[in-house]
Amino acid sequence: MKRSFLAAALGLALATPAFAANSPLDLVGPISDYKIYVTDNLAKLTEQTQAFTAAVKRGDLATARRLYAPTRVSYEQVEPIAELFSDLDAAIDSREDDHEQGVKSEDFTGFHRLEHALFTQNTTEGQGPLADKLLADVKDLQARVDGLTFPPEKVVGGAAALMEEVAATKVSGEEERYSHTDLYDFQANIDGAKKIVDLFRPQIAKQDQAFVAKVDKNFATVDKILAKYKTKDGGFETYDKVSERDRKALVGPVNTLAEDLSTLRGKLGLN
Amino acid sequence: MKKSAPDQPNIDRRRLLGGLGAASVALAGAGLCPMHARAASTAEVTRAPGSANTHQRQAFLGQHQSGIVTPRPAAGMIVAFDVLASDRDDLERLLRTLDERIRFLMQGGPVPEVDPRLPPLDSGILGPVVTPDNLTITVSVGESLFDDRFGLSAVKPRQLQRMTGFPNDALEADCCHGDLCLQFCANTPDTNIHALRDLLKNLPDLLAIRWKQEGSVPVQDPPPGQPAESARNFLGFRDGSANPDSTDAQAMDRIVWVQPGSGEPAWAAQGSYQAVRIIRNFVERWDRTPLQEQEAIFGRRKASGAPMAGGHETDVPDYASDPKGKVTPLDAHIRLANPRTPESQRNLILRRPFNYSNGVRKNGQLDMGLLFIAYQADLEQGFIAVQKRLDGEPLEEYIKPIGGGYFFVLPGITDAKDYLGRSLLAAASL
Repeated sequence: MKRSFLAAALGLALATPAFAANSPLDLVGPISDYKIYVTDNLAKLTEQTQAFTAAVKRGDLATARRLYAPTRVSYEQVEPIAELFSDLDAAIDSREDDHEQGVKSEDFTGFHRLEHALFTQNTTEGQGPLADKLLADVKDLQARVDGLTFPPEKVVGGAAALMEEVAATKVSGEEERYSHTDLYDFQANIDGAKKIVDLFRPQIAKQDQAFVAKVDKNFATVDKILAKYKTKDGGFETYDKVSERDRKALVGPVNTLAEDLSTLRGKLGLN
Repeated sequence: MKKSAPDQPNIDRRRLLGGLGAASVALAGAGLCPMHARAASTAEVTRAPGSANTHQRQAFLGQHQSGIVTPRPAAGMIVAFDVLASDRDDLERLLRTLDERIRFLMQGGPVPEVDPRLPPLDSGILGPVVTPDNLTITVSVGESLFDDRFGLSAVKPRQLQRMTGFPNDALEADCCHGDLCLQFCANTPDTNIHALRDLLKNLPDLLAIRWKQEGSVPVQDPPPGQPAESARNFLGFRDGSANPDSTDAQAMDRIVWVQPGSGEPAWAAQGSYQAVRIIRNFVERWDRTPLQEQEAIFGRRKASGAPMAGGHETDVPDYASDPKGKVTPLDAHIRLANPRTPESQRNLILRRPFNYSNGVRKNGQLDMGLLFIAYQADLEQGFIAVQKRLDGEPLEEYIKPIGGGYFFVLPGITDAKDYLGRSLLAAASL
């Protein structure tokens, strides 16, 4: 009784899917779990953004630079949900080339604007207002996601969306072009996608065991290559350290994961 | 951050969609909605241009791959790839899948439908039934495929090598070389793009694009009763006038196809060396050059394509009676490229070029030129020897080769159960 009510509240299409083995009700549990995951991530993001922006405001360049990449990890892990609010996504995470006037654009704000100041201009000077805005936007995001009903197709589709992020901006090293900390985002996107696959694993496995094995294998390949570049402090080397051979070796599994995970919604009978 | 529509909050998008909804209601009465009314006058502008050639088909099976002596259609594209296969089995899977997809794309037919909740199997840009449109996809392999990854080094074609820059080259690393090269040719560029997207979708774990260059040749209505003319390049000259006759099988065996017993590995017989060059043309400067100078640089009349002495495009220039270059300068492009001596017969190549246009360069000049593609049985005696003779030619002031590579075209297959590249893998397994 409660479950079917929940299913309706979540907007699950109850039409019998061609992939009939799963009931839409089976998705309720994983979606609730995913909301907890996102909520935890955003709480962590707010906390870390607080520390990061505080460092910027007090003029502590070294600390601000050190906190920059780790702070972004929580955002990158749950990016498909954050992107549901595209005004905030643009304010928090847009890049220079999303703006016609580049770094000079008035509306270029958020992490990458600060990244430019910290890593290219090597300064925190004059960044106070941008730091304040970033923190306010992150808190706004947290509040909005709190009140959000998670659309199942967005949750399941998030795995593919994260792989598209990796394929479009991480493999080329375009995301963190000033700090070259792309591997933090790379790993975070992968972890975020893997989390979704893990949550729906029983339902997917019921449909297609071979698919699950193939996806796992490609995740493992990516993880193995990324692990080579982990540093002792739990972070990552800069992207320019990644060998040409490893960059190439990442392309295949990343593109294959993007292709395979693009079928996930359909496999779970979601519209 | 999404790459697309970065500055558009969802709210705006919704507003836009709402607006479109209202607009489509308003326009339905005007005939935009085909279910309700077909108003030819509004649809005409966006109607697909007509072609009677979408069903033209080239054979896939044959001793040689198609797309080499096959008459060149209007649209061409070269795509070079890094092979991502990790071992010989993966490489075999790559070749088998390529073979299977190319057969389908060249043959055409309906695309299988899948549950609409899944991504469609096909990009759909040619519609639900793929039309062959004269498509050929020619598969060749680069020198780097024969490195330590797949254990193929012992069976590498003898002359297959990494392209090195000639004196006038300014090679850009991101448009050179490749493990594998595909030449796409079709009546329209859309057919080539469709084929490429099909291959990428089917081979995400095995192929990564390294570089790609599209090109075209101008379509002509041949003048009645006159011999066919060669297409013009972006310098306005006919290109390919002295090309050997691709319908002459004996000539092709001598010039284009590797022959058994030629010293090449046995599997390579009926393959061919492919030289690809992306040659930028400085067209603004060229257009500011006097006509007589242009003609002297090429060694042909610009309007007719005839030799400097006049006549027809197909007339053979008589260099023997012009030893000092008074008619055709000794350093004219065509005279250096093909001096028409008994010795230079060994250096003949089959050219199959396309013109390319890529937008505008930083300096505001047009980024365009020639996608040069040539086939020969002997790379050293063919393209490399010809290019060496051209080094220092006056034309260099107007051209700059920036990319390309040398590849070896796999032999064709005649048995429908065989696949392209099997003989290469089999030779390496001996």
